[in-house]
Amino acid sequence: MPELPDTGLDDEIGSGPTATEAFEREQHEFGGVAGDSGLLQVGAIEAGPASTRRRGAGLGFGAWAAIGWMGFIVLIAVLAKIGILTWGDANESFASCARKGPLADEGGAKGFLLGCDSNGRDMIPRLALGAWTSLLVAVGAVTFGFIIGGTLGLIAGFSGGKTDTILTGMFNVLLSVPVIIMALALVAFLQGASGEEGALSPEMILIIAIGVVAIPLIGRITRASSLTWAQREFVLASRAQGAKSRRIMIREVLPNVLPAMFSIALLAIGIAIVAEGALAILGVGVRPPTPSWGNMIALDRGNLFKSPHIVFEASLLIFFTVLSLNLLGDVVRARFDVREGGL
Amino acid sequence: MELTKTVAKRLLQLVIVLLFVTMFTFLLIRLLPGDPTTTIIPFGTDAQRAALRNDLGLNKPIYEQYADYLTNLLQGDLGKQYNSGRPVIDLVSQSLPVSLQLMIYAQFIALLFAIPLGIFTAYRAGTRSDKAINTSAFALLALPNFVLALFLSYFVGAQLKWLPTGGYAPGWMDQFFDSSRSPDLIEHARYLLLPAITLAVGQIAVYMRLLRSDMIATLQENFITMAKAKGLSNQRILWRHALRPSSLTLLTVAGLNVGTLIGGAVVIEVIYGIPGMGLKIYQAVFSKEYVELQSYVVVIAVLFVLVNFFVDFLYTVLDPRIRRARAS
Amino acid sequence: MADAHRHATPHRWTRLSAAAVAIALVTVAFTGVGGASVRHRAHQAKSGGDITFGLEAETTAYCLTKGQYAISGIQVIAAVYDTLTVPNSKGVATPYLAKSVEPNADFTVWTIGLREGVTFSDGTPVDAAAVKLNLDNYRGAPDATQAGSLLPIIFTPIIQDVTATDPLTVTVTLKTPVSAFADYLFLEGRMGIMAPAQINAGEECATKMIGSGPFTLDTYAPNEKTVVVKNPDYWQKGYPKADKITFVPVTDGAVRVTQLQGGQLNVMHTSSAQQIETLQNSGQFKTLVQQPGYREITYNFMLSDTAPFNSPVAREAFATAIDRNTVNQIRNKGLFTVANSLMDTKAPGYLKNAGYPAFNLKKAKKLVAQYKAESGGSFDVVMGTTTDAENSAELQLVAEQLNKAGINATIATSDQATLINKALSGSIDVLRWRNLHGSYSQSSDQDNYPWFSNYNVANPPPAKNLLNFGHFDDATTQDLLDQGRAAANVADAKKIYTSYNQAMAKGLYLLPLWFVNWAIGYDPSVTLNLPALPDGNGKPQFIYGRIPVLGLSASN
Repeated sequence: MPELPDTGLDDEIGSGPTATEAFEREQHEFGGVAGDSGLLQVGAIEAGPASTRRRGAGLGFGAWAAIGWMGFIVLIAVLAKIGILTWGDANESFASCARKGPLADEGGAKGFLLGCDSNGRDMIPRLALGAWTSLLVAVGAVTFGFIIGGTLGLIAGFSGGKTDTILTGMFNVLLSVPVIIMALALVAFLQGASGEEGALSPEMILIIAIGVVAIPLIGRITRASSLTWAQREFVLASRAQGAKSRRIMIREVLPNVLPAMFSIALLAIGIAIVAEGALAILGVGVRPPTPSWGNMIALDRGNLFKSPHIVFEASLLIFFTVLSLNLLGDVVRARFDVREGGL
Repeated sequence: MELTKTVAKRLLQLVIVLLFVTMFTFLLIRLLPGDPTTTIIPFGTDAQRAALRNDLGLNKPIYEQYADYLTNLLQGDLGKQYNSGRPVIDLVSQSLPVSLQLMIYAQFIALLFAIPLGIFTAYRAGTRSDKAINTSAFALLALPNFVLALFLSYFVGAQLKWLPTGGYAPGWMDQFFDSSRSPDLIEHARYLLLPAITLAVGQIAVYMRLLRSDMIATLQENFITMAKAKGLSNQRILWRHALRPSSLTLLTVAGLNVGTLIGGAVVIEVIYGIPGMGLKIYQAVFSKEYVELQSYVVVIAVLFVLVNFFVDFLYTVLDPRIRRARAS
Repeated sequence: MADAHRHATPHRWTRLSAAAVAIALVTVAFTGVGGASVRHRAHQAKSGGDITFGLEAETTAYCLTKGQYAISGIQVIAAVYDTLTVPNSKGVATPYLAKSVEPNADFTVWTIGLREGVTFSDGTPVDAAAVKLNLDNYRGAPDATQAGSLLPIIFTPIIQDVTATDPLTVTVTLKTPVSAFADYLFLEGRMGIMAPAQINAGEECATKMIGSGPFTLDTYAPNEKTVVVKNPDYWQKGYPKADKITFVPVTDGAVRVTQLQGGQLNVMHTSSAQQIETLQNSGQFKTLVQQPGYREITYNFMLSDTAPFNSPVAREAFATAIDRNTVNQIRNKGLFTVANSLMDTKAPGYLKNAGYPAFNLKKAKKLVAQYKAESGGSFDVVMGTTTDAENSAELQLVAEQLNKAGINATIATSDQATLINKALSGSIDVLRWRNLHGSYSQSSDQDNYPWFSNYNVANPPPAKNLLNFGHFDDATTQDLLDQGRAAANVADAKKIYTSYNQAMAKGLYLLPLWFVNWAIGYDPSVTLNLPALPDGNGKPQFIYGRIPVLGLSASN
């Protein structure tokens, strides 16, 4: 009988991993699997456009294009927000341009390259300012999710035993509640809690809502990674030497987990941008008139048939941004991730 | 005995998770600001509101309300809509099959494309076609599904007018939940085609990648080399011998996704106007129908946990290592 | 082996391609076949055909006395129930389900005579006892089991008592003379008469629809459809024409038009100027559009019991800061008519301009500065809207104009119920609203009194008129409303309501935006017959988007 190849799975024949455990292993290796197509898709991120690993060769064309795009978008967003380069007024309406633009039924409007939305507001400054809002919410949410979820996941994977069971249980309970209910309930609750004066800005509310929803997802991934590393020899050696658990966790495991987490973070930002869009369509996005890519789509999806340019333009920006983030995430992964037991 | 122990353990886990989920949702929903009386009697006086709240049992302490809810739940009573008095179980029987069918079709379409593509790219790993397909799949992942939904309804629905842009007709599953809903399969397919495609597209890339990875690994195994040496054609090897052991993770994930997506395709259902559970959940949140909302969450949680449980069980039974050992 | 390989490869992929082609063919077949089948279904020529009617929203509960119905609910109610009176094309409330509605000399006692032999769809008679039961529940009588929260606010100040004096006569005694009480028996189609079995059904009142209307409820699938079928024993012989109406909720107006174009619907309603234009320009659809006369108006309430709008200066600043023509141009492509009057052309009180200020940015800025000086600093306004994209966009436009004038306007989005609650509790300053304030030719009482009588109700104090969303108290307008309610003849009513229109403009508690034209779009297979009212009472009125459905029919 030929030797069975090492597939990296548990070595106990007969009581192999459960589907969920294999699922999580795949998640770690592939960075996750589509959980909720509508809201938070910790997507098949191990989906580099070319082969799975490219060693040695410099960053390909795709990676540079992605970096270029992200740099461009971030620059535009910041400049628009601080007011240096706003491309016009994001809130000013022009009756002459309402609903007009490329591809629109009523034709284009002179002087408005990308057309206007249904209120006659110039698309260019709105998209620029929208970039800021969307990125702010996305990065904020991911940071929030990582700080809490990442820490919990790290502890869970490292500690094992009872702590792990409780934390994983918590994650599972949170994940069993449909994401949409969590997000809607959180937004509603936070809106109520912040009162009429709005102690919490709408962006902050979205950051917390999306962030909280992200916690169990990020927690599970971090846990898987932490688990892998915690079983390595040098960690066991450290333990044998009598080093304190917390010290080992922070000194030995965390630095190894971080690079993989960085890749996940980039992907998660893309997902959060999409999540903000979905929440906007459901009516709980960024409060108008502040534009965000999501609420621009939500506001004018009723005009899709007559003025498709509004939805198209914001969608294209989201698409390229998420694509770039996915590309960069994959490149980071390929650089830093050392897969054990190669094939 | 080993098996029954595992089953029993998993069942216990199931019950515990369900308990926690209901408790958590109960609290979460109670945190929602505003109260249902604003929807039912918006112009009521404070006295009327207080009376209605009493009738609805909203003045009882929280643990008592939870206990009441749980007792009813165990007797199969999912509660009633505050506004119309309609039993939630009726609403569930009407909307759950809609979402389930949508999910199943989406997975089916996704697998329909992902399996051949996965096999092909694994077979041709590293070649130009592999890279091209992977790039496209990768790009597809960046497309938010609500954008795809809007595009499809615009082009296919409004411009080309090939398919309807909203609505529903009962399919094969609805009659089992509610006998009065007789199937209208052609219309059913027409209404659900675009939403299913929208949901499927997001999954195709994922599944294709998963299968490709597993296939590449399988194709390096000895029994494949042996099959080739025996003179079997590549097609036969790919589809007959390599696919099965490689597809376990894929099918697991697809199965799990049916569970997770049930409550998650809300945006798609809202955009396409599909009367599924997602749309009902969305409406229940805004109309502050607490009991209805809780029951939906319970139903989804039960389904999710059951699906997980079933897939886990299947996986344990069909451990690939055992099967490979048998195969070689 | 290489040969075998080369032979195998094309074979496998041929099979796959064949499968793909097959799938493509089947899909195309679906679109063709299905499309045809939907159209065929819609045009099926049984005797009167099947109608698929697209509504803008869904209604889940039909216990009529308890609800707060908008047009979508009212249209379904029109199919299953009848009201005691309906407005005719001359703007007069004429008896419909009732045979006669007669006041006494001073309008304090009204006698409703019922028709012989009319039954509800469960066979029970539409008799005085049934009508009394309905009216008692509508007005919130002490022993009513299905009283709601909205309609009692309207009826409690009016109705003293309802008695069934004989099996076909109901006598309503009023607390005060109301010359247009017949108008109150329609209330834009809300006053459907339910069978006692429905009213007495406790919790099931909401789902157990039993009326005397041309259709009866067949099935209700939430978010999907409400199907009503022909009532064979309808009291107007020869009606209804259609065999079945399927009401389908389609919230997105653009999608509704698309579905009409695609054959999924054969009738739809809309109040969006752009969609009306699309329908009219399409060439293949027919439209019934409301003409000037008794239209709804869209307006912005300024809640005037708290800052900032408790100051007339602030209200004037608001009114002069808004360029209504531009808003109309942008949101409605200029197709609607800007309103400067509460009531439309044919209702008593109409004026081309009742005195609302014109747009004047300079003046607005001055007034804003003046208000800020008087009040010590800021002029902050919170505008409330629902999550509906159209309303939100319109409010954003208005907010932008306010900001230009120096007013710090922010927008608060919430669902409809919460929005009403916020208006009631006063946590927003501006409420965008739409209502009908002139639907009859002889009196504007029913359309204005309930909504605009003083917020702080003098008698009995310290009650509040919760329906006054503007929260205003104005002795002049209240006095005029009271006079108008008791007006003895049409000439007096016209004079009184004209003064009332002007007084409301002077008080500036709201800023009207435009008149809303409702429209029904339908495909050529549908005959939109609105039959003459019984007993020679004239032709029906297309009011508030509601059409009588008894005459609808579809053919091949």
